[in-house]
Amino acid sequence: MAIHSLRVIVYTAKMNLIMTWRFFSWTGFALRFFSPIMTLGAAWVLYSQVYRGALSQEFGDAVGKSGYLPFITIGNAFFVFVFAAAFVVGRVMFWERTTGTIEATFMSPMNRLAYMAGVMVAAAADALISFTTVFIIGLAFGTQIASFNAPLFISSLLLTAFALFGIGLMANAITLTFRDRTTTANTLTILFMVFSGIVCPVELMPLWAQQISSILPLTYGIRLMRVSLLGIKTYNIISDLATLLILGAIYVGIGALTLRLIERNLKKKALFSVF
Amino acid sequence: MFFRVILAEIRKSLKQYFFSSRTMVWALLLPLGNGLYLYFLYLPFAVKSVNLEFNSANFSLDLVGFTLIGQLLYSFFTMMLLAGSALDVERQQGTLETVLLSPANRLAVLLGGALANALNYIWLLIGILLSWVAFLNVNILINDLLALLASISLSYLSLIAIGMCLEALSLHSRRGGMYGTTLQEPIMFLSGLIFPLQSMPRALLPLSYLLPLTFGLISVRLTLLAGASMVDVAIPLAVLASMAVIFFTLATWMIGHAERSAKAKATLTQF
Repeated sequence: MAIHSLRVIVYTAKMNLIMTWRFFSWTGFALRFFSPIMTLGAAWVLYSQVYRGALSQEFGDAVGKSGYLPFITIGNAFFVFVFAAAFVVGRVMFWERTTGTIEATFMSPMNRLAYMAGVMVAAAADALISFTTVFIIGLAFGTQIASFNAPLFISSLLLTAFALFGIGLMANAITLTFRDRTTTANTLTILFMVFSGIVCPVELMPLWAQQISSILPLTYGIRLMRVSLLGIKTYNIISDLATLLILGAIYVGIGALTLRLIERNLKKKALFSVF
Repeated sequence: MFFRVILAEIRKSLKQYFFSSRTMVWALLLPLGNGLYLYFLYLPFAVKSVNLEFNSANFSLDLVGFTLIGQLLYSFFTMMLLAGSALDVERQQGTLETVLLSPANRLAVLLGGALANALNYIWLLIGILLSWVAFLNVNILINDLLALLASISLSYLSLIAIGMCLEALSLHSRRGGMYGTTLQEPIMFLSGLIFPLQSMPRALLPLSYLLPLTFGLISVRLTLLAGASMVDVAIPLAVLASMAVIFFTLATWMIGHAERSAKAKATLTQF
């Protein structure tokens, strides 16, 4: 069973990577970076032109001596990674339905989670390219890396990808039920973008925003990423790693359960591809 | 006949999209989310207000108001950009040829679509504004109500006019949706939505001045948040009025040209 699932993961990832390569478009690739470039550009203008580097004491207390621009660059690079990885997984069933292959997919004896994991592996590989690209763009805006803690960097990427996999599973359940793609994706994007601490430390946000951010895995993922690359000493790494792991397990559990329930319901009512 | 077509288009669009999940996301969730994102972008800095220089005067604006009010107007602009894909939708539905075969005035069809999008949004805009004032403590300072109304109306008209140009472009290029989406980020940057225009790199300023949103943001922010009078915002209002006329004229020409070209090449529905 485990070997069968592993084969599903490998071949699904292979198929998705081939599809990505076959339909690669430079326009689509470039569009991914519009939002991060805009944020980096805006942050640069605010920092160097509007406020002339006058950062608040609270910012210094939260992130130590790491600069504002590296802080923003890492947040944006990580967000692009999340966007590229989570939303591919979240739209799998929508595209299966659109291309008319959803019934065949669900008729096959493969493990659904293994299939989704295969998509996630391919998407994460693609997302790493985006992550690196934004990072290189950030260097042009004056970002400098203070340190590199490789084990923490890799574990934060993997654990965040694991949690995002769970969110992707839930998004599939939503798109399958409501036959919607854009609204779900936009809502999730806004939620992650605003409350994960991409552009300011979570500690500086109002209390209600901090409460929302505490249940988002990206909050901890970004924080760990910043610790690994900027050497920030103010965060509790063990606690963040543990929280990210627990949140990931909860999201994957809920995602797997909802997907199974939705599949059963859609089969029962014959609503897979026909309205 | 012209007004009947406009009314019919408005009715059709409102029936399709009024209170739909699409409207909720684009008109309610997106401005709030993006506004908060911009507000959080300012939090790491020591100063919690924004200086807006215009026409040799300096206005100090409340940070929450600067980011959130700007976002409301920007969302309205986004709705207009999305209106640019209306003819693409007609094409996808297979109704484009019927629409263009009818004796309806093309400008009226476009105007109806753009007005419907605007109407769909305006009631939400008022509600959002009031709730932000109440719950997020946005400091409102209105000294000249007429100047505020003129700012909103002229911003509204010029944005509708640019939306109509994009509709015509969409008919011609079949990429209205893509253009609309692609233009959003550069416009956010260039219009002075995120930071005051005086901080914009000088090389980019000419591009900023081509956008009606730039002048809309200046006049609405100043009249709503800094108590500016009609005299203070006379220049942006005059520019907005000129832009409305220019873009309406351009839209009329563009739609005629796009239709004639598509008919001559038989590419209205077939590629």
